[in-house]
Amino acid sequence: MSTFTASLIFSVLFLVFGAALGLLGNGDKFRRKVSVEFNPGLTPPWVLPPGVNLVHVRGLGLNDTLHFLLCNHGAPALLMVHTNSTQSSVQVDWPSFINRSSPSSLKVEPQTSVRYSRALVFTRVWEYDDVNNTADPQQTAESSFYPPYELQNFIWSDLNKTDNQSNLTLQLCGGEKTESFVNGSLCLQFSAFESVGRDQAWPSLHHNANSSQLHVWLNGVTPRGNHSRFALEFQSVGDFGFEGRVDVYSSIDDEYTPSIFKVSQWVSSPVNSTGVWGYNQWKPVAYRKAEPVFEDATPCKHSQLVSMTHIPQSRLVQAYFTEDPQTYGLNISFGIDKDPAFYSDTKYISWTVLVGLGDPPADSFSTLIIIIITVGLGTPLVIIIVGGVFVWLRKRKSHSSGYEPIN
Amino acid sequence: MADRREYEGLLDDEEENDEGVSPHLSPLCDPTHLLHRILVLVFMCFLGFGSYFCYDNPAALQTQVIQDMGLNTASFMQLYAWYSWPNVVLCFLGGFLLDRVFGIRLGTIIFSMFVLLGQIIFAAGALANHFWLMNLGRFVFGIGGESLAVAQNTYAVNWFKGKELNLVFGLQLSMARVGSTVNMNVIGWVYGRIEAMLGSTGHTTLGITLMIAASTCLFSLMCALILGFLDRRAEKILKKEQGKTGEVIKLTDVKDFPVSLWLIFIVCVAYYVAIFPFIGLGQVFFIEKFAFTTVQARAINSIVYIISAPASPLLGFVVDRTGRNVLWVMLAVITTLLSHMMLAFTFWNPWIAMCLLGLSYSLLACALWPMVAFVVPEHQLGTAYGFMQSIQNLGLALMSMAAGSILDLKGYLFLEVFFIACLCLALLAVVLLYLYNSYKEGELNLSASERTSRMKSEDAQRLRVPQPSVEDHDHLKPLSPFGLRIRYLSRLGVQVSLDISKRLMELAVFSHRCVVVLADAGSQVFSGLQECPQMSCASRCPVTLPETNAFVLINFSCVCASIWMFVFDCNPARVHESVDAFSREMCTVLIQMHTLHGVIGIFNAVSWQFTHSSFTFW
Repeated sequence: MSTFTASLIFSVLFLVFGAALGLLGNGDKFRRKVSVEFNPGLTPPWVLPPGVNLVHVRGLGLNDTLHFLLCNHGAPALLMVHTNSTQSSVQVDWPSFINRSSPSSLKVEPQTSVRYSRALVFTRVWEYDDVNNTADPQQTAESSFYPPYELQNFIWSDLNKTDNQSNLTLQLCGGEKTESFVNGSLCLQFSAFESVGRDQAWPSLHHNANSSQLHVWLNGVTPRGNHSRFALEFQSVGDFGFEGRVDVYSSIDDEYTPSIFKVSQWVSSPVNSTGVWGYNQWKPVAYRKAEPVFEDATPCKHSQLVSMTHIPQSRLVQAYFTEDPQTYGLNISFGIDKDPAFYSDTKYISWTVLVGLGDPPADSFSTLIIIIITVGLGTPLVIIIVGGVFVWLRKRKSHSSGYEPIN
Repeated sequence: MADRREYEGLLDDEEENDEGVSPHLSPLCDPTHLLHRILVLVFMCFLGFGSYFCYDNPAALQTQVIQDMGLNTASFMQLYAWYSWPNVVLCFLGGFLLDRVFGIRLGTIIFSMFVLLGQIIFAAGALANHFWLMNLGRFVFGIGGESLAVAQNTYAVNWFKGKELNLVFGLQLSMARVGSTVNMNVIGWVYGRIEAMLGSTGHTTLGITLMIAASTCLFSLMCALILGFLDRRAEKILKKEQGKTGEVIKLTDVKDFPVSLWLIFIVCVAYYVAIFPFIGLGQVFFIEKFAFTTVQARAINSIVYIISAPASPLLGFVVDRTGRNVLWVMLAVITTLLSHMMLAFTFWNPWIAMCLLGLSYSLLACALWPMVAFVVPEHQLGTAYGFMQSIQNLGLALMSMAAGSILDLKGYLFLEVFFIACLCLALLAVVLLYLYNSYKEGELNLSASERTSRMKSEDAQRLRVPQPSVEDHDHLKPLSPFGLRIRYLSRLGVQVSLDISKRLMELAVFSHRCVVVLADAGSQVFSGLQECPQMSCASRCPVTLPETNAFVLINFSCVCASIWMFVFDCNPARVHESVDAFSREMCTVLIQMHTLHGVIGIFNAVSWQFTHSSFTFW
């Protein structure tokens, strides 16, 4: 009887686990073969200014290619181009690219294969004196704003490249030639991914092969006021016929980003259509330390999306987008109303955004949670069924045997 | 049995001494006289005042402590954790030390000294700016604090048994609240004054404030000395024995505990672990996940306790009437599980989940605790309850820390999943308990009527069999279940008073104002002025019209709380002493309720004295 019970329990548990793992197995297994090249086709005598690079990351899929181009000539920009060909390549007319002599000096060939292209340009860092401690630049008087740091004027140090098994990471740091940046810098870390996964470091955004990640941090910059807070200005440039909007979703899952229950998505979709072609996704959180603990998280918020009339001062964007591109701008500001901590307390703030193609990835429960819930709920259920039957049988048996002596 | 004889002995003594001693003593000095007992009661109440006052010092000075000592919330919470640690063991040992080692009088004095010493070390830690010293102080304070509560109850039983015992227990409970309330209101003000005197904040200011708070402990120590003196004097005059806790804790009993008791322990620990740490961390959860304001979050976080006040008497009544405790516990665990799942996996209005949690929490308390009495013989009750509290303390202390780390590393969803896992364990234990019980045909899950008939047949058997061991068991007579539960409640109050004392203070103020409203309305009606009572009240105290309904509601819950304490005590074991126990019990409950009303009145008056200055704030 007991062996039967045990085997029954195990088989039911096995079934439950099997179902759970089956559910998990539906994950995005899509992979791309990622390769990187620096300044493709650049030959002497042409040289880029010091610290400036054009990085081309090529993600080769089964029947398409996803190009990411990162360039800090002018304001740093990340251009994403999706082609339906596995043979597409990037062509740069270097003399005109360096001298800004003509547009369309950067092309993805064959041009007919290009399905979608969009660039994210990091244009300015705003600093304002938050005297009322509202942490809201939109409610702050214009007089409280210091002159912004224009990223097109930054001096950049050399690029750092680190490569591990499944992602490729590039890091560049720079600053203005002013006192503020003597001991500090603004850094950008770009990561491209071969497959689905998450970074170890918070906010641990859920990335896939169709996305890349930009991690921005401002380290050791001398604030110009006692109550200085910073905001980042981004612009997104895309083809004509697309429009942008920012959606904020609630998510019950904060396992990878503790205490953050929201996801913000700046999506672009064709006019008169709801389908999403590309996105910038982030969680409304910034961290005040390089290796943050729970207390170092601070909320961040975004401004209204603004339509811009000029494309930003980025060589990459100017060279690629030639026909009536559409530009939207948006600010990301850090801190919360009555936040006791200002930038000067830790002199560090970091923020992360995922740039990708297609629908933004959604969070799902981790395997551990599913297993805990399944085992937790399954075991009492199994035991009550098995035990109930067992007790009932035993009672019936004892009752029947109890009557036998009378007969 | 022993109590009865002791009581009779006391009466005999009284009669003998009527000629011998009484004529020479004024009523105030005569140990048999009511007036003297009231004097003793005053000292008895203030015996615990210091420890209750100082227990919540960190909570009342939370921002100041964190600022002055440069802490984060986690290390601040250690101040409470360090208080809990000694009590994991002392739940067992407190009664034993009082009975066998020190005796009640010396024991009380020693524990009071521990309290005083602990608070002084605590304050010295702040003065010297050493946080570890503050933790050490809390540890020493914890050694004294809990055992002092046991000593206080023992004194009460010793002096008031068979007289005004329930009132005295009630008063002592109220004193705990008064201590916390006074602390919450006064200590911040003291800090402000010291700050003004020194001209700055800092660890010195904090240290001086805490040193001043230590004076309440000194006061309590003086009460302990006086009580010891009075008790000894009464012993000499009345020739009675020193009081005993009556708790016989025999650790060897533990090996005899039946399987079902262990299952009950598992349910108890696994369930409470998913409640108290959650409420402790809940406020920020509601702010982060449901975008509540701080005020809303505080309100929803305390709804569990507020609901349990009116719900517990009703549910307790239902459980007592129907029996079938195991099924009720199962229901409670399942509904708690549901509400935790709602909070974890949905964005539904959390008020639904929290109200459900409040109801199931009350239901579990009503159904789980009396079960111990069914599975353990009466002389082991003390050990069983002591063990239960001990592992509950241990579980809470460990799980609070675990919950904090989980939150820091994995976030709220995982924390909720962790609580759900704990509840699943509780559910598993209940299921096993149910199966084991129906397999053994135990009495845990009988309906009330079945229980009565079984009890009757057992009584009949007992009448037929001579009982030789009655005398042997005399000295093993434990504290009555009521006493045990009062102890449990007072301890629970201490456990959760970080959240609840503030809430209770608010309740007290509200209900006081409610009394004012009602009295005002009454006088208006009687004087025939036919004015709107609320309007006239508004002129007396700042009550606005829409608030009045809330007051009535809250006063109702306050009254229910008083019923609850006594209905909770409806121990089925005692109900069956008489066939028609129901009517008798209802009668006692009503009488006791009135008694408690008086206590609440006193409490309200006292707390009002200390809070009316902040009335404008409301």
